[in-house]
Amino acid sequence: MAFLEVHDLTKNFGGLMANDNISFTLEQGELVGLIGPNGAGKTTLFNCISGLYPITSGQIVFAGEDITKLKAHEVAQRGLARTFQVYVAAGDLTVIENVMVGCFMRTHLRSRARARATEILEDLNIDDLSDYLVNELPVAAQKLVTMATAIGSDPKLLLLDEVAAGLNPNEIEGIMASIRHVHDDMGITVMLIEHVMELVMKISDRVIVLDYGEKIAEGDPEAISKDPRVIKAYLGERYVQEHGVGQ
Amino acid sequence: MEAIKNALDFSDFPRLDLIIAGSVGIAFIIFPLFPHSSFAMSTMIQFLMFSLYGMGWNTIGGYGGQVDLGKAQYVGIGAYTTAVMLILWDVPFWVSMPIGMFFSVIWSFIIGYPLFRLKGHYFAIATIATSLVLKDIFEVWDFVGAARGLEISPIKYHPPDFLRLIFKEDVYYFYVILGFFFMGILYMNWFRKSRLGFQLRSIKDNEDVARSLGINVHWAKVKTYAIATAFVSMVGSFHACYIKSIEPEDTMSLDISILIALMAMLGGAGSLWGPIIGAGILIPLKSYLKEWLGAQAGLVGIDLILYALIIMVISAFEPRGVWGIVEKIRRRKRS
Repeated sequence: MAFLEVHDLTKNFGGLMANDNISFTLEQGELVGLIGPNGAGKTTLFNCISGLYPITSGQIVFAGEDITKLKAHEVAQRGLARTFQVYVAAGDLTVIENVMVGCFMRTHLRSRARARATEILEDLNIDDLSDYLVNELPVAAQKLVTMATAIGSDPKLLLLDEVAAGLNPNEIEGIMASIRHVHDDMGITVMLIEHVMELVMKISDRVIVLDYGEKIAEGDPEAISKDPRVIKAYLGERYVQEHGVGQ
Repeated sequence: MEAIKNALDFSDFPRLDLIIAGSVGIAFIIFPLFPHSSFAMSTMIQFLMFSLYGMGWNTIGGYGGQVDLGKAQYVGIGAYTTAVMLILWDVPFWVSMPIGMFFSVIWSFIIGYPLFRLKGHYFAIATIATSLVLKDIFEVWDFVGAARGLEISPIKYHPPDFLRLIFKEDVYYFYVILGFFFMGILYMNWFRKSRLGFQLRSIKDNEDVARSLGINVHWAKVKTYAIATAFVSMVGSFHACYIKSIEPEDTMSLDISILIALMAMLGGAGSLWGPIIGAGILIPLKSYLKEWLGAQAGLVGIDLILYALIIMVISAFEPRGVWGIVEKIRRRKRS
């Protein structure tokens, strides 16, 4: 049995198929990328898995348990954490307070939550920012705070929604190192949505591609970057014909 | 153990704040020793009562961001429970107060559970509605004296009666409510650092994010609403013994609900000192306006105009109130 199993997941917004019969599995310890053009349904898929949206049909099994019908907070309590694309972190809380909100999922004691939050901030090398308000920080640091907050809840699986969006190449290097650290050293299975191809292709063990709500390809980064369906989805039919990609 | 330590630990405030807070606290304690008018004394008691109402409101309204405009219904439940039990069965205040809190909390669950499915303005409007409905029920309910209300006659007792909280001199009431006031501050100091306090601040910011951090948003709100309610009901019980004459119009009216929320917002919703600062500004202002302008010039309702002005000023300039301004200045200085 796989760590995360998604069977025939369909999400229908009043006639719009945001996710159409998507199936995939994730093994513990993997680092999987989820890519696709804008509007492909990537974030919707995350919202469905994490329980924020009730799904139209299908089944989600996490660590051997059917979590299809669970509410978002129940899914989170089972060790499935996520970050958000648009949302960064609570602006009028300091960095450490933000991370503590995550830590409070596993403990009632403030001292323990604080200790754990400090540990995580040190681990991600942002402990010098502890007492700043989140909205005083540059975007790259804010993204790390969101990650730290999610890690505070001690997840087994972490879904990252576009953590590298809006960052410069230097910062992308930094966040990539952090994701590697979370995955390799903290032992958290990671699935990430990303538009920055250099990051996804370099970091992922495996890539899943969505287009118009359907899964169109899945495989190792090398194969995916040569897959004509993927190139078609990103660059259009004509590009494929003119350049004869994949033939 | 850790809860007590957290309640007593104010070390995250700048030293200046603690010196000011400490001096003000001592000033309150010794205030009755100095010559004062009975008007000043009753204003002080009102101020302490409304600070406590504000602290209660601040849990759900300030930290949780759920604007509640129906707190007066819990003032009423607390006040009526204590008054009815004292008049009919001679039950002491210290017994009827927790019973009143119990009733209030039950009622808060009954209305809070469905009401928290609503968001923002809709929630605020719904709380007004439930409060007004309860007031209307009390106005026609003969058992609690209907619109005439209830009268606690002090002649039957032998003041100072510490069990029933029947005193002749206001100074006794002052020290009782001052005790509640200090306890309230300690409780709030614990609350803001507690797990629930952090969860609420996360909910206020973004409910979906809160959910994905394992927080049961609906239940956290219902729980906090019950805490806010217990605070308000406790002071409502005190109100019954202090005023001795209660009727639906002056314990459960919309004015009181609005004043409670307004004070906390003016002082700074979501901060420890906010409700106290707000009450410290508004209650004396209200008393003096009523006493001087209202009575002498016949300008009844001038306080309502003032509330409206304050709402506009807060929402236009600094939604986080007086305390928000203080924090803004501090941050600017630091950077």
